Amino acid sequence: MKLSWGPEEEAFRAEIAAFLDEHTPEQLRDGRDWIGEEADEVPQWARDWQALLFDAGWMIPAYPPELGGRNATPLQTLVYQEELAARGVPRSVHFGGYGIVGPSLLEFGDEAQRALAPAAIRGDTVWCVGMSEPDAGSDLGSLATRAELDGDSFVVNGQKVWTSYAEWAERCFLYVRTNPSAPKHQGISVLILDMDTPGVEVRPLRHITGNAEFAEVFLVDAVVPRSNLVGELDEGWRITMGSLAHERGGLWLEGVGYAQRALDGLVELARDRGLAGDPVVRRRLGELHEEVRSIRALGYKGFASFAQGSSAPEHSYMKLAASELRQRLNEFGMDLQGAYATVTDPTLAAQGGRFQAAWQMSLAATIGGGTSEIQRNIVANRVLGLPRG
Amino acid sequence: MCWGCPVVDFALSDEQQLLRDTARALFTKECPPSLVRDAFYDVTDAGPAAARAFHDTRLREWAALGDGPLVDLALFLEESGAVLAPGPLWVSAAWALPLLRAAGHTEADAVADGSLTATVAVADATGRWEPGDHDECWFVPHLGEVDRVVFLRSGPSVLVVDAAEVVGSPIEALDRTRPLARVAVPAGSTSPVDPAAVADATDRATVGLAAELVGVGRWLQEATLAYVAERVQFDKPVGSFQGLQWKLVDASLHQERASAAVAYAAMCVDADDVDRASAVHVAKAAAGGSARHWARTGLQAHGGIGYTWEHDLHLRLRRAYGGDHLLGDADWHRDRLAALLLD
Repeated sequence: MKLSWGPEEEAFRAEIAAFLDEHTPEQLRDGRDWIGEEADEVPQWARDWQALLFDAGWMIPAYPPELGGRNATPLQTLVYQEELAARGVPRSVHFGGYGIVGPSLLEFGDEAQRALAPAAIRGDTVWCVGMSEPDAGSDLGSLATRAELDGDSFVVNGQKVWTSYAEWAERCFLYVRTNPSAPKHQGISVLILDMDTPGVEVRPLRHITGNAEFAEVFLVDAVVPRSNLVGELDEGWRITMGSLAHERGGLWLEGVGYAQRALDGLVELARDRGLAGDPVVRRRLGELHEEVRSIRALGYKGFASFAQGSSAPEHSYMKLAASELRQRLNEFGMDLQGAYATVTDPTLAAQGGRFQAAWQMSLAATIGGGTSEIQRNIVANRVLGLPRG
Repeated sequence: MCWGCPVVDFALSDEQQLLRDTARALFTKECPPSLVRDAFYDVTDAGPAAARAFHDTRLREWAALGDGPLVDLALFLEESGAVLAPGPLWVSAAWALPLLRAAGHTEADAVADGSLTATVAVADATGRWEPGDHDECWFVPHLGEVDRVVFLRSGPSVLVVDAAEVVGSPIEALDRTRPLARVAVPAGSTSPVDPAAVADATDRATVGLAAELVGVGRWLQEATLAYVAERVQFDKPVGSFQGLQWKLVDASLHQERASAAVAYAAMCVDADDVDRASAVHVAKAAAGGSARHWARTGLQAHGGIGYTWEHDLHLRLRRAYGGDHLLGDADWHRDRLAALLLD
């Protein structure tokens, strides 16, 4: 029984740690949640950061160098994810391109489409992902944006919503219905849409933090060449999110790293507010400490199965657990401030208003990427094997 | 914080897999629910006698695990906890044995090979689990079933006494599968023990108890999932109702956290890792909390039948709550975690 890594992993850890310490942009330091600036395009510093990671082989370490990696092993990939998570440093300020589009193009695209992947991963091309619609949220399979084949082109009509980074994006990875008479999961396809196509209109959608990272995307008779179809016609449901299979074992680390940093902030806050001796505050902090640590242990236990090639039911729980914990941590950060909880002026609020901002952002955590209710349904049916209703 | 965590060690080695399989086979074959039930209801004294016989012939030898890695002992105790195996194995192997080793006591070998069994007396009448000078110890487990009593006294020091020579009286308590007693501390000279060794023994006892509680939670989860799949109301299995499913999911998440936290704590103790102190508190808090969570949720999901003595659920409910309150309940351990963060 050993509680340490081998020298190879430690050397790998030292290398990525030194890289991050030296090169992380100021804007991403101190575990700040990066709240998108009101900007018409991706800020230059963010482009530079992503390109630097790619060129150094630190963007997606398991990939080969030409795809921004260094052929890392699963264990090295986990070490890499740990170091990012411990610092709260994102690889990119727009997740879709490297996290969903690049890997999906590599897996399902034809030769010309696969050639788009390096730029998507490096961030040279900014992508958005068009999935949710006004009537297709948790029930994504009921999406209704229609693409009709007309000769060598699709004509697309419909509306997407909650589309992150749509204002910045040059291209969209667009989920459309190509066969309305097939059962709902069987008539979906994926198209590559140029965002400057006539008939595409982007309207910013301000979310609860006041930031307009979201958008609605309206499509009116937008013409997309047939060659922009990814994979087979009507087989788009297979092209699911998160094809970074080699990173799946450690995706939970981001949530756990976040929780640990929030807990550190709560301890500091309790001290600063003179509440470190309050028995109720202490009990709550102890409870949160228990949750953070036990969830972390659960993540590592799942990784052990993952690394051995087994399925890891533990990981089905991680999104649910981490997102709900994140809300509790931030809400407690508000509670610790008394009347100051309502103050959002960063010059007046504790820790620069960190908990006020993080609490608002955390409200999205139990909705985006599959609501907590959907996660519970998934665990109920697939992990616990409960009968379907 | 330590990010260098025991990733690969969560996977069981071949030997550990064999240990778990052997334990499961032993309990499935020779410790059927009727054995535990008969001992609990204690109508003719034949029930307790059969349970004692199972312990004496089949469990005594496993006390040797108390000298080995805590990971292995915890694996075994999870299995014995799931079936509520009778006898003092937990207290003898996970707590008394390391204390006897720490004191360099001559009977430690006999406790390790199972020819003797022992319990530990430490708590005072207020339920504080700390060595002191009080003249009566409370909440002493399995007093009537052991050969020796290890009194843990201030100093710290220990006094080892033949169980036949102590004056004890049973405490009527919730969990009759783990009898508790109060015992007058006899006169006698104590031997000093290294405080670090006492802390180590407490950690082993705490994680061992937490492992039992993980077993209790696991039994409750399995029994409940099986029941809701077959119990039909409104023409459907009740397990198909979302209102019930989400409660079961939340309890199962708690159980997963507890199981991982206990395995992690056992590894930390074995490696004497820097994370050890917090890991032990996390393990006991999570395991006590999860066993109680499943006891409540399982009972609710079973409905009326779960509330009766016709069903074995109440035996686990008793052990879940009883176990949580031994060696510090979940809230006590959370307060220790807060102390590690703040003091």
